[in-house]
Amino acid sequence: MTDLFCYGPDIEALADLAGDFDLRSPVDTRTWYRQAWETLAEALGFPQQLAAELDRRRGAREWVTTTHEAGMAAFMMRMRQTRPAVTDPQASTQLTVIEQMTSVSRARGELWRVTVDPTTLESGACYEEKDGGLSRAFYPDTTPGYFGEGWPGPPPRAESRCGWETPLVLHFGTFPWVYSSRLDAGGPGLRWISPSLAPALEGFHVVASLLQPEANLQQDARQVVGIYRHFAAQTAPLIARVPGPQGRTVGQLFQRDGLLHVHQGSLHVAGLEGPRGYLPASAFNYIVQRFASFFAVRRATLRALAWAPEMKRLVANTSDPCLRGQVEEVARAG
Amino acid sequence: MNRGVWVTLGTALGVAGIGGALLYSRRASAAGLPYPAPAPDPGPTPIIELAPLPKASEVAGDLLRNWGDTPSDLRALLMTMEEVSRIEGSSRVFAVIAYRESRFVTAAHNGNAAAEQDERDSSRRAYDNNKGRNPPLKYGEQAANFGSGGLFGALAPYFLWTGVPEVGKKAPLLNAPPELLFQPRAAAFGAAVYMQRLLAHYRVDDLADIKVGWANPGLLGSGRGSATYHDVRARFLADAMTLGIDLTDAATIPPKLDASAWPGVPAVFAGLVGALPKELA
Repeated sequence: MTDLFCYGPDIEALADLAGDFDLRSPVDTRTWYRQAWETLAEALGFPQQLAAELDRRRGAREWVTTTHEAGMAAFMMRMRQTRPAVTDPQASTQLTVIEQMTSVSRARGELWRVTVDPTTLESGACYEEKDGGLSRAFYPDTTPGYFGEGWPGPPPRAESRCGWETPLVLHFGTFPWVYSSRLDAGGPGLRWISPSLAPALEGFHVVASLLQPEANLQQDARQVVGIYRHFAAQTAPLIARVPGPQGRTVGQLFQRDGLLHVHQGSLHVAGLEGPRGYLPASAFNYIVQRFASFFAVRRATLRALAWAPEMKRLVANTSDPCLRGQVEEVARAG
Repeated sequence: MNRGVWVTLGTALGVAGIGGALLYSRRASAAGLPYPAPAPDPGPTPIIELAPLPKASEVAGDLLRNWGDTPSDLRALLMTMEEVSRIEGSSRVFAVIAYRESRFVTAAHNGNAAAEQDERDSSRRAYDNNKGRNPPLKYGEQAANFGSGGLFGALAPYFLWTGVPEVGKKAPLLNAPPELLFQPRAAAFGAAVYMQRLLAHYRVDDLADIKVGWANPGLLGSGRGSATYHDVRARFLADAMTLGIDLTDAATIPPKLDASAWPGVPAVFAGLVGALPKELA
């Protein structure tokens, strides 16, 4: 049996939120990827750019790669229209740190959440302010939040030049909501843009890559399951207070099919107050959709193990025991 | 809506009540003959469902450049207002106005809380001072007691009389309840018509003057240069900065808006609202 039950029945249900598709069916695959990217683009504010980029590629045959390329191009256009929010020195440090962190974490199969002792990095994850002082290039996101119970230690091995007392933790699987305890409506990662540099593109590249079978299979899903279950447990009491669609009134927040909606109003100005901070409705939906899409792709690729030799090669050295079990089962079945 | 949240809006909207009266009083003196009194007790107000918010795919205009922090799911509505009204550059100005009037909450309501008597006074004054000179409102008393609200902070009676100067008794909202203000497409219709009237009938020197007229058209005439006039202008310019909309970006907003291509109230209503249920039409 090649499915997601190894991860738990809640994960199978989660994947259903994003819909099912068969990688052998070009129509199925094209439809799913288009919808997944449209959802992503709607949430991050570049649906027109995505539509234009997809339209330019409408004659393409390999739709997984095509939607990825179109999406990346559209997001780049979106960021070009975004006001710089950080300085070039900060962006430069961010860019270098993200590249280093993702490179190491990719090899470990842990791209969803990456952690590092900032003092082991050449930059120290610090950048120089205009007055010559040093500041941290990222938010020290270590208090209990929606993605985990916090990361108080171990403390950095060396003394930080800019005040790091905890590891640097970034959640690329839900980029631009990269911090566990700072879920604002816009997504902090979208502010990683300076007059000359756009570290946001690197962050977006990671979250987008998890929609592709290759990167998806390289990710140890146990990490994703753990973060999802924490998120689900923390948000469940908040979501339980939101009414269903029956009898909804104009401007009211309601829930349907696991997501939040505002009847005749903006999702971007709605949210829920929780003990771990404000939870914007748009961030909640986006985060749930990222988890759901990840497991929908995982499910489709697991099924492909039976007929696609390249998939088996991709998971040959996986550290994910569920994935290993699926490969062995497929091998036994011949 | 809690008064604490809307305390900054209340001031502007209170002024809007007086201004709206002036706008409508001009129309009434031109109309001449009085209209009959409204029918009493129209019964319970019906629930109206208009089409959902427009999607990005339904507009041609750019939804990325120079929108600042305007919620991305409202930009297509604001752009539809610009495209349907043919007032080039108006979408971002509408965004700045909506930021001030409702903070982009479509169901924003000033007048529903005990402490919001001034808003109810404004809508009552608007109704009482103009009902004899305008076509009757089916839900006139409810509108008089409603206060103001919606995305653009309109006073209910004026909202329901939208289009009367242009099409008289064929104005499309005369039979609608004031709660229609909360439907963003209907609020958008009211705002587009109001913008056009300001641009066509008042001296509007620049973008900030539009917001002055929104608060009180009288400030564009004898009130021009007063402390209130300058306050409203300063607040509008500050709101644009806070929101992140560059009013000097000529690629998206001309220095002066022009309503000369206005297609008329019926076309704007059709483009923004579509059709109301037949019992309200």
